Formats: sequence, structure tokens, C-alpha cells
Amino acid sequence: MIRLLLNRLWQTAIVLFGVSVITFIIMHSAPGHPLQANPELRLDPTAVERWLELRELDEPLPAQYIGWLSRMFRGDFGKSLIYNRPVPELALERLPATLLLTVPAFLLALGLAISCGTWAALRQGGFVDRLLGLATLAGLSLPSFWLGIILMMLFSYGYPWLPASGMRTAENSSVSDILAHLVLPVTMLVAGSFSYYVRYVRYTVLAVLSQDFIRIARARGFTELYIVFRHVLPNASLPIVTVAALSLPQLFTGALVAEYVFSWPGIGRWIVTSTLARDYPVIMAVNLSAAALVAFSNFLADLLFLLIDPRLRFKA
Amino acid sequence: MRRSMVFVLMIIGFSFLLLNGCQKGQEETNLQVLHVAAPASPITLNPLFARDAGSLEAAALLHPQLLGTNPDTLEVEPRLFASFELQADNLTYLFRLQEGLLWSDGTPLTADDVAFTLLLISHGDYTGWLYPLLRFVDGAEEYRNKRLSPYAQGEISGIRVIDEHTIAIRLKQLHAPFLSYLTFPPLPAHKLQNVKVAEMEGHPSLRNVLVGAGPYLLAAWKPDEYLHVRANPDYHLGKPKIAEIYYRFIPNIEAQVIELLAGKLDLLPTAVKVEDVEMLAADRQISIHKNERLVYDYIAINQKEEGSPLKDKRVRQALAMLLDKDELVTNLLLGNAEVLHGPLLPLHFAFDREFSQEKGSLPAARQLLLQAGHPQFQLKLIFNSGNIIRENVALLFKEQAAQVGIDVQIHALEWEAFLAALTNGDYDLAILGRSADADPDLSFHWHSQGAGNRTGYANEKVDRLLEEGVAVLDKERRSELYRQIQELIVADAPIIWLYTRQAIHAASADLQGFAAHPESLFYNVHLWSLAGREDGL
Repeated sequence: MIRLLLNRLWQTAIVLFGVSVITFIIMHSAPGHPLQANPELRLDPTAVERWLELRELDEPLPAQYIGWLSRMFRGDFGKSLIYNRPVPELALERLPATLLLTVPAFLLALGLAISCGTWAALRQGGFVDRLLGLATLAGLSLPSFWLGIILMMLFSYGYPWLPASGMRTAENSSVSDILAHLVLPVTMLVAGSFSYYVRYVRYTVLAVLSQDFIRIARARGFTELYIVFRHVLPNASLPIVTVAALSLPQLFTGALVAEYVFSWPGIGRWIVTSTLARDYPVIMAVNLSAAALVAFSNFLADLLFLLIDPRLRFKA
Repeated sequence: MRRSMVFVLMIIGFSFLLLNGCQKGQEETNLQVLHVAAPASPITLNPLFARDAGSLEAAALLHPQLLGTNPDTLEVEPRLFASFELQADNLTYLFRLQEGLLWSDGTPLTADDVAFTLLLISHGDYTGWLYPLLRFVDGAEEYRNKRLSPYAQGEISGIRVIDEHTIAIRLKQLHAPFLSYLTFPPLPAHKLQNVKVAEMEGHPSLRNVLVGAGPYLLAAWKPDEYLHVRANPDYHLGKPKIAEIYYRFIPNIEAQVIELLAGKLDLLPTAVKVEDVEMLAADRQISIHKNERLVYDYIAINQKEEGSPLKDKRVRQALAMLLDKDELVTNLLLGNAEVLHGPLLPLHFAFDREFSQEKGSLPAARQLLLQAGHPQFQLKLIFNSGNIIRENVALLFKEQAAQVGIDVQIHALEWEAFLAALTNGDYDLAILGRSADADPDLSFHWHSQGAGNRTGYANEKVDRLLEEGVAVLDKERRSELYRQIQELIVADAPIIWLYTRQAIHAASADLQGFAAHPESLFYNVHLWSLAGREDGL
């Protein structure tokens, strides 16, 4: 167990190092430069020079990378070139809004997908199954920004019940105000990921249902409910856990499209604007954290496997 | 079946909860609270270091200007400086501050704050955009190069604080546009004199504007969400009528329109799409405001490439004939722009309404190309992707060019890549926008040494006249000179002028007193009011 853990850590470190090098190279070979953003600003050439010098951007690239790496080891993620503030501070400012949006959407989509997918698999070919098939096809093929705008047209304009943008009306907004702002973006997010999960759940449950031990359980006269909860779901959960764990990093990197469509003050928009503005320290920190999150989620999935499946525990 | 009934009931209950929440929001709009949309969140509220339009607009809510410009004539007007006079030496300006100015913490705003701000801008570690404006001040350049202290301390020979309310600024030589440069705000010396200039860009007290003297004071800044400001009772032009403003960052333009129609926003500034104007104007709750701006769109011509046909003036003149600009304005911009034939804009006092280029035709263009010995060639045209108007201009241009034997390759580039291509000269033609100064001085873009002269335009006569233009004060004479300069520049066909677009704002019909300035949205914001809404205080 501990060896597995150490092994994983070691591998993760190598992956992260690789990611940082590649990100650094790609980032600096992309055209542009953080002070170039507005060609109409009458920046004095000496001011630009001094700006670069103060931020150590006038040094050769390898030196810049080593500088960045050594600061990283001291826990310093650097300062945003655009905002002139520490990157973690900027990220933490936006993370709560992101989680407020992505976590409910994730839980809702997963919960709905497990219940609906199981239901559809149990009544394969039935009305619900066919309806779900159609709905998920629509959910997967409709572009999410389009769905977002349609939702907005319907429920913010046609029937002006819900706000079309933002997270709240003011600083002292009530919980119901924030909930009202959440409905449309969460619906848009759920529509997309639910369709993805539900097909997975349905397929996995069907696969388990066709196994001999289910037939035997039925033959022994257990109730359907007992069979589903005792035998089907535990066996179907391994692949579902994998899929769910792999979507965990997305909870933190945000839901860019939803954030843009509904003007949600989340982390995704910040990441994209920072990338477009060539905010090097932000790009590095974000890519590295995202890579670390992916590695961690994989690791979490492995741990969950051990927890769920006694056979694996035995082998390990 | 029963279970689904429970589910439906739950949904209904939930909706009631939400509706309740919405109604609360509605009640709030009855107060004197203004909700303004912004396409992007400001990056800093520090006006001396702001590099993006969003930050500069937001900063205008929180900071007062030393001097203002009239929105119609662009003539310099008193603001914090109640008066300004040029001394007999034609070099020294004497500025007198209004009496009784206060920072929001109660400290008096004095000539020392102004002097401190000027020192800060001239400091060697200052990396903002204002220094080029101050290099005309006697001793500013020396001060910048010496960099004696990391703080904004020391002396500039041309700046002298005479008393609490009076400051004298002496220039190296007469520079007519100088007053129009002093539209930036002062910063509080008592809060910042112990901060190193190199650290000021990200300094928290500037980010959060703890002390201000503008029309509004910061109540809260929620990054990427909104800026919430409250009226400053001590504002020197009078306490603003609107008690609070929420400046909300809504990147999605469609959402902005929907929120305006739903009554949750009061103002969509500057960038209302031309195709939305008619629909919005039809709504009785909404009024459309338009104003001219100091910006224009043009097609840059890269003449730096050796052996390029674009080095030949006749080829450039032919290119300038291809587009029917009237048609662009009527059909593409639906009339919300003015055709432009030269670098002077309608707002400039030197603008000449009679001046126009000869309307060319395709055969005439073809003739010029043949004369130049370039019957057929290829050109690379770039623009920033996502700008629909420019994309259409590019397509029209390609179509027209094909008829005279020019094969135009269109490349839509992401913004940073576009800028990099411009900087590296990796283009033949580029469609872009540009802003002009309030003063008609064209040196920045057209002097051979101008910092904004990207195309490498150089004409000795133009240089000489530009230098003369800033060295006389008489408006008539200056007007004459700039018209002459315009003729010379246009004859060289260095770029293709297209049009100057109007700013289009959509506002709630309740909003009174709103009249945007060509350079600032929140011009005279203290005079705005919301009719028919109770005073919130």
C-alpha cells in the first residue's frame, strides 16, 4: 500500500516536471507579450524595458525557467503580470464562485445519471429508456452555449423569472438570490454532463445485469430493489467511479462556456483571459495545478477501487 | 406515479423560493441605484498604471481629473485646477486648485499631491503610460534618467509648488497640446510617498482606492463580478445625485441586452451592436444615445518589405480606391459612423468637412496598377478574429481587389497573434482601429520619430509642419497647419482611412443627464439622475 503510494508520488513528480517544461516552452513560443496588449497605449520604450526588467522577463529563457522552478520549490507561484498580485490569491478569489457552480452541477448530473441510467437499464426498451435515449442524444449534440442562450431567452427575457447574468445582485444578497442566479448555468452544465454520464451508467448496469450471478440472485427470489442495491450498483460502480473521478479536475478549472454565457465570476474565464493576455506566471501555475489535480484524481480513483472492490484490496 | 407527483411539487416549491428572490431584486431598483454593464472587469483601479479601457473607465468613477475637456469642442476645462494661465515667457503655466478640496479621509488635497503625482509619473521606475506626456516638462527627462531614489521624491526643475493651492509647471519649449494632457488624476501623497515606485503598480491601497476624491467612493470590488461605488458627499463638483452605482462585468453582450430589456440594467455603454439599435429603440423604456469618438478604423499598409509592390505610391493609391466607404457606413455600420478621408477627426477643431478624397473607380485603380507595373500580385490581409465588422470589410476588400487583379489572402488572427504579426511586420495589409488625441497634433502617428508610427511613414515636410504645429498657440494658424499636413499625408496614401464609429449607448429611459464624452463614459456622472425613482438616502 505504502509502496503503491510512493510509486505514484514519484510518477506524479516526473509528470509535473514534464508538464512545466512543455508549458513553459509552448507559452514562450506563442506570439505576443504581456505588455503588447494595447497598441494604442503610448508606453515609453524605456518604461517597457524597465517593466520587463523589474519582472525578470529580460533574462534568457532557461534562466527564467530555473528562476521559476526555484521559486516554486519555495512555494512561490509568482505574481500575475497583468494584476500584479500573487497567483494563488487571484485563484482563491475566484475558486469559491467556481465550486459553487461546478459542484452542484456535478453532483446533480451524477445523481440523476445514476438513478435514470439504472432505471433505463432495468426497463430496457421501455418508454423511459427510449425517452432518455432521445434526451441524451439531444444533450450531447446541442452545443452548450446555444442551450445557455436559449435558456436565457426563455427564462430571463420571455418569462423574466431568473437573472441572466452574474452570481448575485449585491454583496448582501440572500441565499435565494444566489440560488436564482445558479439555476440557469447549473441547468446548462447538467444537461451536458448528465447525458454523458447516463449513457455510461446505463451501459455498465446492462452489462452487470446480463451476468450469471444476477440471474442466480433473481432465481433465489431476492427482491429487485435488493438485487439492484446489493449486487448491480456495487459491481457497476467501478467504471462509473473512474469516469466521475476523471471529471473532478474540471470542477476546479471551471466551466468556461457557462461562465462566459452567464457572466459567472469563476476561474475558467480568468484562465482564458490570462492565457490570451500571455500572463506567464498564471499560465504556468494553472497548468501545473491542473496536471496535479488530474494525477490526484487518478490516484483517488485507485483508492476508491480498493475501497469498493475487496478483490483488488486482496491483490494489493 | 406518487413519487413523480412529489417531485413536481418539489419543483414548484423551489420555483416559488426563486421568484421570491427575484422580487427582492426588483424592489432594489426603485432606489437611486444605477446598474451599468461593462464588457470586461477592470484590472486595476489605479489610473496611472491602467493599461486597458475597462480599468480607465472604472477609475474615472473614483478619481477626479486635474483638467477636463469639453465633450463637443474638446477644449480644456477647469476641474480640480480652477484656473490655468500661461505666463509671459510662454513656457510656464500657473495652475490654481479649487479651494477646500478633500480626500475621502478628510486630508486636504493640495498642490503637494499634484507635485507628488508628477514626480511619480516622471520617475525612472514608473512603467505606466503617462510619462511620454510629461517629457515636455523642463527637467522631467533628467529626473527620470537619474533615478536618485526608489521613491517619488526629489525635484524636477520645471515644477514648483508655490503655495497650498498653486503650482507652476515650466516646459522645455512651447507645446500647444500640453494642457490637454493634464486630464489624469492626482494620487494622495500622504498615503503613497513611502511606497517604492517600482512596487506601486500592484500596491493594495491603489487597487482598493482606500482614499479617493472622485465623484464616487469604492464600496466593494468583486473581481470579475462588479464594482460597487457610493456617492462622494465631498466631491468638488457637487454630491452626485445617484446614490450608488453597480458597474457589472458581463462579457456576454446578448446577456447585457436581455438584462437591459428585463429592467435589471440601466445602461449598456459604448458598444451596443448596430444591428440591435432598432430593436432597442422600439422599446419605450429604453433610449439610445450616440456620440462621436476619437477613434477610427483603417487598413494599415506595410511598406517596410523590400521589393513589395506596396512601396509604390500608385499601388497604394489604387488600393485606397477599392472600397466604397459610403457603402460600408450605410450597409455595414447602418449609418452609425462617418466616412473618413484623412487623419483629422470630426471632433478636432482643425477638421475640414470639405476635405475628401477623389472617389476612385475600379478601372481607375486598374489603370494605376498598370502604370506602376504591377498588373497582378498577392497580398496578405490580417485582422483580429471575432470582429464581425472588420471581417466583412476584409471580405468586401478581397472581392473588389480580385476585380483589379490582386489576390488577397485573408487571415483572421487571435488578438495577441494579431499584435505580434503587426509588430513583426508579418502582413501586407491589416485592418485595425486607432485612437487619436483630443488635440489635433498628429505627431504620435505621423512624425517620422513618433512612438506610434508603426508603418514607418516618413515625410520631412510633414515632420517640419508637425513641429511647427505644436509650437504656435493660435488656433487658426494651427488649424491651417494641420489641414496642410493632412493633405500631404493623404497624398502619400500611407494607410486606407475607413470610418470613425460612433459610440452607441442604450440606457433606461429613466436615466437623465447622461451625455458621454468622446473619451470618457462617466463624464459629469455627478449630474446623472434616475427620474421616477425615489432617492435611496
